Amino acid sequence: MEEEAQTWLRSRRMLTLALLLAAALLGDSTLAKDKTAGTDADRQDASQSEIRLGMSADFSASARALSIELYRGAMAYLLPLNNAGGVNGRRVVIKAYDDQYEPDLAIRNTLKLMDEDDVFALFSYVGTPTMNRALPLLQMHHDRHFLLLFPFTGADTNRISPYDQLSFNLRASYDQEMKGLVDHFVAVNRTRIAVFYQADAYGRAGWGGLREALDEHGLEIAGEATYRRGSPFDQSYDRQVAIMQRLQPDAVVCVGTYPACAGFIRDMRDRDVDCPVATISFVGGGAMLKLLSAAEQESNKDYTSRLVSSQVVPSYNDDSLPAVRDYREAMDRYRDAIMPPDSLLHPHGKAAEREYAPLPYGFISLEGYLNAKLFTAILQRMGADPRRADLVATVLAMGDFDLGMGQPLSFGGDTARRQASDQVYYTVVRDGRFVPFRDGEWEAWAKR
Amino acid sequence: MRIARFYQKTLFGVFAMIGLIVAFTSALYVYTVDRQLTGDFLKNSRAIARSIADSNVDLIVHRNYSALQSIIDQFVEISSISYVFVVDEKGVIIAHTFVPGVPDEILADYKDGKDVYDRTLAGLGNFSEVTAGILAGKAGHVHVGMDNDYIALQVQTAIGKEVYLLSIILIVSVLASYGLMYLVCRGRSITSGVTPGIRCPASSTPRLRIPLRSSVCSSVPTRWASSAG
Repeated sequence: MEEEAQTWLRSRRMLTLALLLAAALLGDSTLAKDKTAGTDADRQDASQSEIRLGMSADFSASARALSIELYRGAMAYLLPLNNAGGVNGRRVVIKAYDDQYEPDLAIRNTLKLMDEDDVFALFSYVGTPTMNRALPLLQMHHDRHFLLLFPFTGADTNRISPYDQLSFNLRASYDQEMKGLVDHFVAVNRTRIAVFYQADAYGRAGWGGLREALDEHGLEIAGEATYRRGSPFDQSYDRQVAIMQRLQPDAVVCVGTYPACAGFIRDMRDRDVDCPVATISFVGGGAMLKLLSAAEQESNKDYTSRLVSSQVVPSYNDDSLPAVRDYREAMDRYRDAIMPPDSLLHPHGKAAEREYAPLPYGFISLEGYLNAKLFTAILQRMGADPRRADLVATVLAMGDFDLGMGQPLSFGGDTARRQASDQVYYTVVRDGRFVPFRDGEWEAWAKR
Repeated sequence: MRIARFYQKTLFGVFAMIGLIVAFTSALYVYTVDRQLTGDFLKNSRAIARSIADSNVDLIVHRNYSALQSIIDQFVEISSISYVFVVDEKGVIIAHTFVPGVPDEILADYKDGKDVYDRTLAGLGNFSEVTAGILAGKAGHVHVGMDNDYIALQVQTAIGKEVYLLSIILIVSVLASYGLMYLVCRGRSITSGVTPGIRCPASSTPRLRIPLRSSVCSSVPTRWASSAG
């Protein structure tokens, strides 16, 4: 009996020990689970039915056409994608805020997107001064793995240390655009190149690109004129034109936004300064052409000759490219459905004179379309459970890829490329629309 | 009725004394505030120039012009700072805040690394420009321009407030003195035209008579006026 009782006691002790061990293991696994949850702060809830992209851009002030068209282009890709079920069953949505092209508002929007909206990534920010102020926030929150994907700027800030690790670009840089323009101008003996630029970080980025491009030819900037960010088309640019008249340059490069560049070109031509004028991609060729064409009709003058625009995406008229074909079809089909919400376009209430008439097609909406297409390609590679922390590795592992743009694109590789395209295209206005400006055609602008 | 010459002189003496106090206090205040504020503005500008020069060496050396421009743009939001520009080691202005361009007066004279430039810019005004060397001047200089007219306005505003206060004190003092005189007059009226307590130094008994000017004492109540001798 006694032996039986001792056996029972022993087995009871064993049972108690086993229970304690099980409880300890269970407790540990709960702990482990908590730890995992902590590191998964960079993952949007798997049960969520959408992947949010955060966008801060000017939807209501001086550069609004750029942001609206970029947004429309992105939505033209995402709308049919979401209608077809999204990526791995999740819709891809853009959470956009208006920053009026003001850096302080961009900071606030970025904080909201990261802290409140918990976006998967920041996407297609518009403008250099705004991006320059948002990047340090990403640096501060680097442990949360936020990235800025495909901003609409060619500035160096997110292409060089210390912020190059926080961003990926699809487009070529301003330096590359400037180098191309300068090489072409110098080739036709136009060596005295002046610059008209926005007095801020964006203008300075273009100025820097021009300086370095000229430096390669042993040249210097012939002179410069600046304007304040937000200057409208109706304003007089006579003071800037007077500087150009005094300088007598062989060509002028404009690093601004479409209202100011259009106003400057109008006033230049009105004062018979007729040297070739070049604009870079951020200017927004389509919106600028719209303003200049309207001014031409009013004054019966020619404002669009001897005007060349560098672009970072192919011509939206080039139907031979699959991406352009798809883009045009989507833009035709979803024309009204892809507009940003009224709360973004009219923060102070709707006004007839502030209504925005969207462009049917354009370089900027095409860039937005390609940005969204590229993000979707990345997301598809991330599988059913995408995490922010895996984004960098996924993009860098892409290597060469094709978006249907008719040009090679690549990320990663030996140099850990973070800019997919180096291609710059040149366009001029003929019959009221931008058409490609071929290499041989520059000769017509040769200085005799 | 008239205020006696003695009282007129006393009143004048009081006014003159207060006036002198106001004048000397204002002059001292103008001098002190002008020196203090101008010194403060200069110190702030120097600190800003030094801060840009010291904390952005990497941007300047690595030619990150865009980020550098972002930084200097923030400083011109300070009221007293009119412009900022950065010159590289080759003497090229690599970032600035001027619209529609760098003024000719600056282009003509900015390369010799002076500590302070006093400038008159056509159409813009008068400026004091302080500089700070980047890497002891080897990598260039940062120039910060202060609007002297703005500083003068700040000094004038501060002085204006002080003078305004002193003027009020002067006016109140004058009115108070006059009121006191009036009370004295009224006392004389009540006591049959003799001011109590003041004796004429020429005689042992007679009291000093203060004829009241009707315009001054027009508000004396009727019963007091009727009892006046």
